[in-house]
Amino acid sequence: MTAATLHDAHPPAPAHHGTARRLLLGAGWIRAAWMFCFFALIGVGLVVGIRFAADWHPFLDKQIAVLVGLLVMGPVGFLAGIGCFDYWVYYALGRPTRPEDHSGHGARSWKDYFRVNTDHKVIGVQYLVTTMVFFIIGGMLALLIRAELARPGIQFFDPQTFNGLFSVHASLMIFLFIIPAFAGLANFVVPLMLGAADMAFPRLNALSFWLLPIAGIMMVSSFLVPGGAFACGWTGYVPLCSTHQPLGAVFFNQAVQWAGASSIMTALNFLVTIITMRAPGMTFWRLPLLVWANFTTSLLVVIATPFIAGSQFFSMFDHVMHTSFFNAATGGYPLGYQHIFWFYSHPAVYIMMLPGFGIMSEVISVFSRKPIFGYRLMALSLMAIVVLGFSVWAHHMFVSGMASWLRVPMMITTLLIAVPTGIKIFSWLATMWDGKLHFNTPMLFALGFLSMFVIGGLSGVMLGAVPVDIHMNQTYFVVAHIHYVLFGGSVFTIFAGIYYWFPKMTGRMYDEKLGKLHFWLTFVGFNLTFFPMHILGTEGMPRRVVDYAPKFAGLNMFISLASFGLGASTIVFLYNAITSWRSGEKAPSNPWHAMTLEWQVSSPPPVFNFDEIPQVVGSPYGYGIPGAQHAILAPSHAPAPEEVAVT
Amino acid sequence: MRKGQILTLVGIGVVAGGIATAVAVVPTWLPTRASVEAGRIDDAIWMTIIISIVIFSVVAAVIIYEVIRFRAKPGDDADGPPVHGHTGLEITWTLIPLGIVTAIAIFSAIVLSRNGNAGVDPLRVDVIAQQYSWTFSYPDAKGLTSSVLRLPKGRSVLLTITSKDVIHSFWVPNFGQKQDAVPGLHPTLHITPDRLGTFPVICVELCGLGHALMRSEAIVMTPASFDSWLKSQQQAVTSPNASVSGAAVFKDNNCSACHTLTAAGAKGTAGPDLDKLPQWAAQAKQPLESFIKTSIVDPNAYIQPGFPKNLMPQTFGSLPPAQLNALVQYLISSSKKG
Repeated sequence: MTAATLHDAHPPAPAHHGTARRLLLGAGWIRAAWMFCFFALIGVGLVVGIRFAADWHPFLDKQIAVLVGLLVMGPVGFLAGIGCFDYWVYYALGRPTRPEDHSGHGARSWKDYFRVNTDHKVIGVQYLVTTMVFFIIGGMLALLIRAELARPGIQFFDPQTFNGLFSVHASLMIFLFIIPAFAGLANFVVPLMLGAADMAFPRLNALSFWLLPIAGIMMVSSFLVPGGAFACGWTGYVPLCSTHQPLGAVFFNQAVQWAGASSIMTALNFLVTIITMRAPGMTFWRLPLLVWANFTTSLLVVIATPFIAGSQFFSMFDHVMHTSFFNAATGGYPLGYQHIFWFYSHPAVYIMMLPGFGIMSEVISVFSRKPIFGYRLMALSLMAIVVLGFSVWAHHMFVSGMASWLRVPMMITTLLIAVPTGIKIFSWLATMWDGKLHFNTPMLFALGFLSMFVIGGLSGVMLGAVPVDIHMNQTYFVVAHIHYVLFGGSVFTIFAGIYYWFPKMTGRMYDEKLGKLHFWLTFVGFNLTFFPMHILGTEGMPRRVVDYAPKFAGLNMFISLASFGLGASTIVFLYNAITSWRSGEKAPSNPWHAMTLEWQVSSPPPVFNFDEIPQVVGSPYGYGIPGAQHAILAPSHAPAPEEVAVT
Repeated sequence: MRKGQILTLVGIGVVAGGIATAVAVVPTWLPTRASVEAGRIDDAIWMTIIISIVIFSVVAAVIIYEVIRFRAKPGDDADGPPVHGHTGLEITWTLIPLGIVTAIAIFSAIVLSRNGNAGVDPLRVDVIAQQYSWTFSYPDAKGLTSSVLRLPKGRSVLLTITSKDVIHSFWVPNFGQKQDAVPGLHPTLHITPDRLGTFPVICVELCGLGHALMRSEAIVMTPASFDSWLKSQQQAVTSPNASVSGAAVFKDNNCSACHTLTAAGAKGTAGPDLDKLPQWAAQAKQPLESFIKTSIVDPNAYIQPGFPKNLMPQTFGSLPPAQLNALVQYLISSSKKG
C-alpha cells in the first residue's frame, strides 16, 4: 500500500452526523471523560446495590466502592471511550467492520499521538513520551527523598508521606518507566528490524499502551486519597501491606494489575510478531540481537507476570475482603506472598535488563564498525539467563525465615547467572577490540553502561553469596546495588537507545554536544550519588528509613547534594530532545551507517515501513566484510517526503 | 596481541586495581565486629571484594585501553576487521567465571554451615518483635523479659525470633547475623558475642510508620556480671511488691517511635502528640484517665482527627495490668506538666 491509497482510506465523517453528536459519541477524549464517569457510577452502583440487597450495613463501603468504581470500572470506561474497543465491539455486535480501515494508523499531526493509533511507530513514541513523564515524576520523588535524608532527624515529611515517597518512586520507575520504556523502543524498532509492516496485533498493541497511563495516574494519585499513598515499599510485603495500610495500598495493588496486563499483551504481541512476521530469509540466526533480546524478554514476561498479578490480588483480597491468604493471625502464610512476588520480581530484573543488552549489542557493533563478537553465544546466553532467571527468586529471601536448606541451591543458581552475563560483557569488550570507535552519544552511554553494570554485577555476586547477603540484606548496600543495575544498567541503555533511534523516530538529529554534556553530567552525578551508598549499607544503615543514626550524616549530605546534580542532568536531556525534535537538523535515512533494516528506510519510516517486504540474505552485523549485505530492498524504494509523519 | 599491548593493559589494570583497593581499604566500611559469626561473614565479604576488584580492574583496563587506542580518527569511515568470534576465548571466559563462582559458593556454604551451628548448650533467648519495639525473654531464667538484649561474652546464643503483628527484621550490625521476624514462624539465629560493649539493635524490614525508630540495644557483658544481672532481675520479677515505673514502660515499648512526649524526650510524629493529651481527651469528651487507657488497649475506639484507623498497634492490650496502670499514670502526670 502506498501513501496515496492510505490517504484515500482515511474516511471523511458521515455527513448526516451532527458535529456535537460526533464529539460526544465519537472515539476520543470527550467520550473517554463521560464514559469514565458513567462506568465509575455503574461500579459504585453495583457495590451499593449488592450490599443493599444483601442487607449489609452500611451499604456504602467506601473502600470497595472506590476499588470497583474508580480503579476497575472507571478505567474500563476510559478505554472504551478513547476507542480501544471500537473495532472489537463492532465485530462482536455484528455491525459492519472494515479490516482494511487504516484511518487510525500513522500520524499526520501531533494530535494523532493523543488518539488510539494502531501504527507501531506511533505507539512506540507514545510509550516513550509517557514513560518519560513518569520518569520525571519518579525522579522528583527521589529528590524529595534525598532532601529529607540530607540530615538525620525528621525535616520535611512525616513518616507516612516519606514511606509513600519511596514506595511510589520505586513503583513508577519500575512499572511505568524502565519496563514500558523498553517496550516502547522495541515497539518502534522490532517490526522494522524484522522487515514487517507492523506488529502482529496492532489493535492489541494500542490497547496495551493505553493501559499504562491508567496505571501511572493511579500510582501517583494515591498521594491524594485519605490516609496517604501506599507506604509499604514497592515490594508490598504482607501483612503490612494487606492489613495495616490506608486505602492507598489498593491503588498500588490495582495499578500493578493494569501495568502488568499491559506488559503481558505487549509481550504476547512481540512473541507472535517475531515468530511469524520475519521477512523471507530472516532466520533466527540472522535476527539482530535486539530482536533476540526482546524475544527472550517477552518469554520472561508472559511466564512471570501472572505471578505478580496473583500476589497483588491475594494481598488486596486480604485488605478489602478480609480473606486470609497471607495473614498469620487467621491461618495465612506471610512468606507465601514473598515466594509468589519474587517468582515474578526476580525475572523482572531481567525483564528490565535483557532489552538493554539488545540495545548495547546494536550500539556497540555499529559504533565500533565491527561484527558482534560471538553472535550465537550472545543469543544463547540470553536464553540461559531466561532459564536460570526462574530458579533464583528465593535469593531475595535468604533471611526471611523460609526453609533454610533452600538457601544454598538458590545461591548456586544465582551465582551461575554471573556466567552468561559475563559472557555478554566480555563479548562486547571483544567487539570493540581493534574496531574504529566513534564516540557519539549512544556509544558514550553504552560505555557508561558497561563500566557501571560491571560494578552492579559484582555487587550482585557479593549479595548472591549467602553470608554476605545476611549482613547486607535490607541495607543501603542493596539500594546501591539495584541503582547500579537499574540506573547504571537499564536507564543508561534506555538513553543510549533513545539517542541512537532519535533520528529514525523524529526525522531529526539531536544536538551531539548537548548529548555528550548530558552523558557526562549523568555519569558523574550517578557515581557520586550511588557509590557512597555501598559504604553506608556495609556500615549498617538500613534502607527505607526516614531517620538514621547521626554517624551516617556526612555521607548522606554528600549523597543528597550529588543527587540534585544528577536530577539537573535530566534538564539537559529534555531541552535537547524537545528543541531537536522541533527544529533539529533533518536526519538522513542512515546516519550511523548501520546494516539493520530500520536504517534502510526513510527517517521517519513510511507508514507501512517497506514498499515491498525485503529479502534477507545475510547477517545484520557484516561490518568490514566487502560486499556484505543484510537484506535486499525493493529497488523502487525511495522515501516519499509527504509521508514525513512528525510536524 | 603484541607484547606492548599486554604491558599497557597490565599497567592500566594495576592502576585501576590500586584505586579500587584504596576505595575498599581507606574508608571504614564494616562496623566494629562483636561476634565470632561476624568474623566469618567478614571473611566472605573480603573474599568477594578481592575477586570483584580483580574482575573490575581487568574490565576497566580493557575499556580504557580500547577507548584510547581504537578511537576512530576524524574522517575515518572505514570498518574494523570482520572478526566474528574466537571459540577458545569464548570457552575461556565461560570457564574462568564458572570456576570463580564455584569457589565463592563453596566458601559461602562452609561459612553458612559453621555460623548456623549453635553447639550443644546454647543460651536461649526469645526475641519478640512488635510495632515498634523489641522484647527479649530468657526461657531458661523463668521467662525473665527485658527490652534490652543482654548477652554474656563468649557463650553461644540461640535466638528464636518471631513477631506479633507484621514482618520485622532483627539485626545488630556488629554481630553480622540477621533474621526476619515473621508472625507465625519461629526461625532461629545463632550468635557468639566476642566483644564487650553496647551495640544497636535495629529493625531492617519496613514495618510501618515507626520503623525508622524501632531500635534497642544489645549489651555484651562478662559472664559474671551477666549472671548477677539475671539473678537481680529474677528477684525483681518474683517479689510481689515490685514497683513498676511508667517511664520505663514508655521506654521499653518504644512509644517514642511514634509519639512526642517532652518529659520522655520523645519526638515521634507518626502518632498524636502526647503532650496535648488533656486537650485530646476534652475533644473526645472523655475523662482523661479512661481516655488514655482505652486508647492504649483499644486504639480504634477513638481516632484522633488527622490520623488513620489501624495506625496504632493493637498489641499493647496485652500489657500486664501493673504496667498499664503505671503507664497511664505516667502519661497523665507528664502531659499535665507539658
